[in-house]
Amino acid sequence: MSPQTPLIPLDLKTTVAENRLVGLWRLLRGYYLRFFTANVAVAISAFSRTATYMLIGFYVDKVLGKGATWSSLVLVALAFISLALVQGSFTFISGYLATQTAEGIALRLRNYLYDHIQRLNFSYHDKTKTGELIQRATSDVDAVRRFYQDQAMSIGRILLLFVINFAAIWRINMRLALISVIAVPALVIVSYVFFRRIRDQYERYQEQDAVVSTRLQENLTGVRVVKAFARQDYEKGQFDNVSWRKYLLGKKLIFFHALFWPSSDLIAGAQMLTGYVVGGLMAMNSVITIGDYLAYIGMLIYIIWPMRNLGRVIVQTSTALVSYERVAAIIRVEKEPVEEGAFIPSGDVAGDIRFEHVSFSYEGEDESVPVLHDISFHCKPGQTVALLGASGSGKTTLVNLLPRFYEYSEGHIYLDGVELKHYPRRFLRSQMAIVEQEPFLFSRTIRENIAYGVNRNVSDEEIIEAAKAAAIHESIMGFPDGYDTLVGERGVTLSGGQKQRIAIARAILRNPRILILDDATSSVDAETEELIQQALFRLMAGRTSFIIAHRFQTVMQADVIVVLERGRIAQIGSHEELIQQPGFYRDIYDLQSQVDESLAMEDA
Amino acid sequence: MSDKSTQFEEEEFSSQFNGQVLGRIFAQARPHWLLMLVFLLAIAAVSLLDGYFTFLSKRMIDEGIVPGNREQLFRLAMQYGLLILVQSIGVFGFIYAAGVLSERVRYDLRKKLFDHLQELSFSYFDRTPVGWIMSRVTSDTERVGELVSWGMLDMTWAVIGIGTSFYFMFKINWKLAALVILVLPILVIVAVYFKKLILVEFRKVRKLNSKITGAFNENITGVRVTKAFSREEKNLEEFANLSFERYRAGFRAGWLSALFLPVVQIISAVAIGVVVVVGGLQTEVGGMTIGGIQAFISYIAFMLWPVQDLARVYASTQQAIASAERIFSLLDAVPEVNDRVGATPIETLRVDIEFDHVDFYYEKEKPILQDFNLDVHQGETIALVGPTGGGKSTIVNLLCRFYEPKAGVIRFGERDYTTITLASIHSRLGIVLQSPHLFSGSIRENIRYGKLNATDEEVEAAAKLAGAHDFIVELEQGYDTDVGEGGVLLSTGQKQLISLARAVLADPDIFIMDEATSSVDTITERLIQRGMEAMMRDRTSFVIAHRLSTIRRADRILYIEDGRIVEQGAHFELMRLRGRYYKLYTYQFRRELERQSSLLGGRAA
Repeated sequence: MSPQTPLIPLDLKTTVAENRLVGLWRLLRGYYLRFFTANVAVAISAFSRTATYMLIGFYVDKVLGKGATWSSLVLVALAFISLALVQGSFTFISGYLATQTAEGIALRLRNYLYDHIQRLNFSYHDKTKTGELIQRATSDVDAVRRFYQDQAMSIGRILLLFVINFAAIWRINMRLALISVIAVPALVIVSYVFFRRIRDQYERYQEQDAVVSTRLQENLTGVRVVKAFARQDYEKGQFDNVSWRKYLLGKKLIFFHALFWPSSDLIAGAQMLTGYVVGGLMAMNSVITIGDYLAYIGMLIYIIWPMRNLGRVIVQTSTALVSYERVAAIIRVEKEPVEEGAFIPSGDVAGDIRFEHVSFSYEGEDESVPVLHDISFHCKPGQTVALLGASGSGKTTLVNLLPRFYEYSEGHIYLDGVELKHYPRRFLRSQMAIVEQEPFLFSRTIRENIAYGVNRNVSDEEIIEAAKAAAIHESIMGFPDGYDTLVGERGVTLSGGQKQRIAIARAILRNPRILILDDATSSVDAETEELIQQALFRLMAGRTSFIIAHRFQTVMQADVIVVLERGRIAQIGSHEELIQQPGFYRDIYDLQSQVDESLAMEDA
Repeated sequence: MSDKSTQFEEEEFSSQFNGQVLGRIFAQARPHWLLMLVFLLAIAAVSLLDGYFTFLSKRMIDEGIVPGNREQLFRLAMQYGLLILVQSIGVFGFIYAAGVLSERVRYDLRKKLFDHLQELSFSYFDRTPVGWIMSRVTSDTERVGELVSWGMLDMTWAVIGIGTSFYFMFKINWKLAALVILVLPILVIVAVYFKKLILVEFRKVRKLNSKITGAFNENITGVRVTKAFSREEKNLEEFANLSFERYRAGFRAGWLSALFLPVVQIISAVAIGVVVVVGGLQTEVGGMTIGGIQAFISYIAFMLWPVQDLARVYASTQQAIASAERIFSLLDAVPEVNDRVGATPIETLRVDIEFDHVDFYYEKEKPILQDFNLDVHQGETIALVGPTGGGKSTIVNLLCRFYEPKAGVIRFGERDYTTITLASIHSRLGIVLQSPHLFSGSIRENIRYGKLNATDEEVEAAAKLAGAHDFIVELEQGYDTDVGEGGVLLSTGQKQLISLARAVLADPDIFIMDEATSSVDTITERLIQRGMEAMMRDRTSFVIAHRLSTIRRADRILYIEDGRIVEQGAHFELMRLRGRYYKLYTYQFRRELERQSSLLGGRAA
């Protein structure tokens, strides 16, 4: 954590509550004082505004009427300016503190969610859509931020303005005060009803906006298809449809606005005018003084106009509550306990792995789906295990058990003779490296991607060495910025083969005891494939390796070959053993040896 | 690539008020001048009335309340009430007219941009990121639409509001008004300065927000790697820095906004102080009434809002000009491949094709094809093989006239193809690409893209020929199955079959397949073989493929390397050569066997 971060530490898990308002209240922890001071500042600022109007009354009644002198006038003027200073300063203070509160809470929430999400277990990520999670971590957090910065403060301000000014008018005249608020309930109701409709209408408009964007994006990414079929006119028509619909929805939205504002103007205007006339009559009849009247018409504004916004604030608050709930739902999920487990050896593990009657089922919605049954085999340190089988036979699941991404439900897995469940996940993972079939690279530089797996500063030499071993150095040097080339949209687009070799370099640099890899190579030419194979063999040397094999060459050299069929071991043994027995393995082997015969036939 | 990012870096503010651009912006609103006239008149009326209301309440005090004239008070109140009604109508008018105008200009711009984008060449899309174009059509059009409507409206309201206020102040007491007017420039300058600071800060917040979204995206999609490498702490540390930057920008934007109003209010308070003293002294000598002082105070307090609006319009106009410059740069981009003057359509592409000394490059320093020659007879099937980057796709792209040769000529029949209209060429091509692009909608709609007026029977016949029918009918909704955005709900192999069906339906004269069935499983591949053979029998076909079955079928195989034909001939001829093709073939043969065995976890879809 950077030293200047004004983060007030708080385990947000302790703030989650059934009642959303309680939850939002607890989220304020550490900011209570700031938040309260902000509200007190609003009150002081509202007071000084009201005082300004009372000063106008005093000025008219007590100064102007009684032979104003320079000194008394200057004194009043100074009082005006001082009140403005007080009002201004406290408005600023409240804004400052509210922003600090809101941004601080949002910062804490964002960081917490970021960390929490990366620590949730695989099963959670398997069943949660990426877009949905991002939405919650960004827009919903922003909605919560706006709640503290805007809605919570607005409600306070509107109510304080109302109460203070109402009380001040009450002091002038009780009847006048009551007459001045007749229309206020109507105003609040109209604005509440209106803003609820506006919200729905606005959502529809936004949805259509998304449709327009999607349509546009599809057209742009499919520009080859559009041109290939000469479908420009058709595309124009399609886009015009959705774009025009957005226009119509926008028009409808505008119509609601155009209806609401003048009607609320009418209500508020009528209330104001009533106040002017009633107050005027009272002044004429000397029920109140002229000065009181002037103060009154100033204060009147502040019990009427802000009420127009109360409906908006209430509607927005209800939206913020929904957002809060969506965020809280993530926080409620338990993290994967990476430190749990009592056994930590003093050094690295040797890499002796034994599966004993291991079974595993995925936890589905209502039932669990069995994936692995009764898997047993043994692999000594430094040996290579090749896993064969059709897709869906359980190969990937089997290797996912080793870093404890998932927990096996039956049987035992021993690493160096100790049950796997006794090792903390973090330690286990520190002993392993994984090269996936379609490796995930981050949109950073190639250098950072290669160094991703090691938590220390890595010298350029080490990185280059790893890249050379992975047979990717030459390609990297061919990029405009070499090792500083960005990967992804803002930089170079890497081919599948290049990504895979960078992932291999990443694994080489990590120098793990146990290696898990998927040797599938996407369509690359013969030379590249040869390079990748060599890089893989270099990487596997001297480590316990689990390999999901797609190349016969790799399989043949493995110490233990496991053929999986629907989650069970169909065949197991070394190459020499397996070609002796009829079955799956020998079929493939025979197929291989046919190659040369077939080629000879082709040639004939 | 590094210049790519800088070239498309966005300027938030235009460096200057470019009159020409501004003129072109308002030209967008010209067709809807009536809407503009309506909202300008309406807002002018509303603004005048705002000023007049304050004057009316002054008269209620001075003519009604102070002298105790009940009738005059009621008369003025009646007038007041009527004008509130009038103003409401005005408010309705300006909101509706300005709002509709804003939406309409946005719509018009979207249409213009989209239509123009359809005409631009591949080379434009090669060098322009999709995201950049997206922002032009979405956010930049919003800003321009905003300027011609709400921007104009705010400015009109503010100018008339300030004018009316001063008119009445001068009318009530010109000496005092002359003093007050001195404060105005200070107010405006301070306000403009602040608004710009605030806008810059909000811009920073927006930028950081999208970075944060990106960070979350990687965090979630890369969660496997993170866990495998136990990178959680380091990740959080990096994210916390970004998040903190966002905090700082948000906090700064927040407190700057919070500072704006108080500063402007305090400046006005000084003006009110002047009124209190000078106005008070004048009351003693009868130069000023109580209502007059009240009106002055109200006018000065009111001044805040128009000044704030002016500042906002000023800052957002600069933004809108920057947006408009980008929009116009897109609209002014000229398509590089275009119909020549005097180009005429071609009746059929069932003709011989000739590449005559063709040169081509994307970047001048890196020539792809040099002095490339090729003669293809009508009906021939040509297979292009060779290493990635050798120029296979370029040959196909030139053939389709997605790009044109930098030197040399390509002829269809005896005609230089640049003398032919683009549409008549493209409508006779059938192209299937490796990464098939589908549009959201049903499978039926996607196939029908090849021939928009095809009947359901024709669609199904094409699907059968392409081997797609069987899997389609097995889907719950059959041909009406939604393919999802970009076809995400289907496997790559399925998408390839659909895009094949789409090309089949188009009944093209020339058939082009670029790795078109690479992800289709072996059984299906065999199924479609016969259909494809029928398709290709009497049509000229170009096939880029890894699949041996497809290559073997070709009349002629071209081994392309470094932009040259290194080996060419029929399969058996090339095999006998024992050259590059032989090597490629044997390697590929081994791989296909491995895949076919599928025991090794064949990845076929």
